[in-house]
Amino acid sequence: MVYTRRNQNTLSRAERRRFVDAVLRLKRRGEYDEFVRTHIDFYVSDGDDRLRVAHMTPTFLPWHRRFLLDFERALRRMDDGVTVPYWDWTKDRSPAASLWSEDLMGGNGRRSDRRVMTGPFARRNGWVVKEAVTDGDFLTRDLGRRSDPLELPTHRDVTWAMAETVYDVEPWDSTSRRGFRNRLEGWTEESGSARWRSHNRVHRWVGGHMLGGGSVNDPVFWLNHAFVDLLWSRWQRLHPDSAPYLPAKPPTLGDAQYRRIVARREAMPPWRTTPQDMLSHKTIYRYAE
Amino acid sequence: MSPAIRVHRLTRRHLIAVAAAAALGAVGAFRGLREPRAEEGLPGPPGEPGFDETYRGRRIQGEPATGAAVHGPGGWRVTVDGKPLGLMRRADGSYLSMLDHYQSYATPLAAARGAVDELGAHQTLSGRLH
Repeated sequence: MVYTRRNQNTLSRAERRRFVDAVLRLKRRGEYDEFVRTHIDFYVSDGDDRLRVAHMTPTFLPWHRRFLLDFERALRRMDDGVTVPYWDWTKDRSPAASLWSEDLMGGNGRRSDRRVMTGPFARRNGWVVKEAVTDGDFLTRDLGRRSDPLELPTHRDVTWAMAETVYDVEPWDSTSRRGFRNRLEGWTEESGSARWRSHNRVHRWVGGHMLGGGSVNDPVFWLNHAFVDLLWSRWQRLHPDSAPYLPAKPPTLGDAQYRRIVARREAMPPWRTTPQDMLSHKTIYRYAE
Repeated sequence: MSPAIRVHRLTRRHLIAVAAAAALGAVGAFRGLREPRAEEGLPGPPGEPGFDETYRGRRIQGEPATGAAVHGPGGWRVTVDGKPLGLMRRADGSYLSMLDHYQSYATPLAAARGAVDELGAHQTLSGRLH
């Protein structure tokens, strides 16, 4: 049965509660922190001479699609009526948006130590951060970076990515000058706050744990990535004649990317899943757009 | 307001020694100043010889390192108040820290200062590298 992922701003009060409750149940069972660890373990930067599957790489989109599916499968074991909602940050752009209300993500971190004080993911309400590079056991946020404010990515950022007709290009990393994947992931050569686009800029805008290795500690991680996943689907519909994933063949010995990226029919660790397997989700879920 | 930066005496002596060695063309004789991972064809030399300073009240230290001493795959050993800070290298040669995956810096020193900025006044590193 194909299920539907919905915009978070269309969820009823009861639907919000069911989603949050399923997340909290996974957390209590220790399963949530396994997702945090996996994401930390697979953050490999593109100056590092080894296989990278999650970021700065063509598999950024299919790897996270599979990661979200695993999470959603776990959530649906807790409550089979729940799916991962998406956050359209081109529309819900303010810390005052209902996304940040007490019955969904909770609010901003306080100024002194960025500790989230309200909602289900506040330390005082029982959400304990266990896997992080900082020592606090509480979730942190700094919505909009108060010390040097910046805005969420706009519709223009999305359009700029969508206009690309090629999925990805050499050198298949954060320095790729063209290609949908790098533009949606959000790496640029610009300086100042113009350097972050789309996906990356959302991580920067939320701040706190979302900035670093432990970004999955903030459940808004999933809502951002569900929207990124939706945008990948939309790009495929817009460009039906483009190869849905590149590279088709692995780089050969002598290529700088030899054994560092995954081609269309190769496995993406930690799974046996290939990008090819992730090209369509229509038999599993759909997006209500 | 620009934060006060104080370079420790030890570091100043170290820098003088390095400058003297460079003048004699003997940099290679200093162990630990070897270009990290150059043998693997990765982006070039770190560009500076290590640092030890107090930045916004935190002591940050760093030096190029290899093998088990490296904190993260960036080819450097960097600490903030004695706790290891994982650095990663980007394809353009810049550095990212584990605290902030989205801002890259030209040097490990700049990345360490950026990490202190991000830690703010109330947080410390857990010591976990990855």
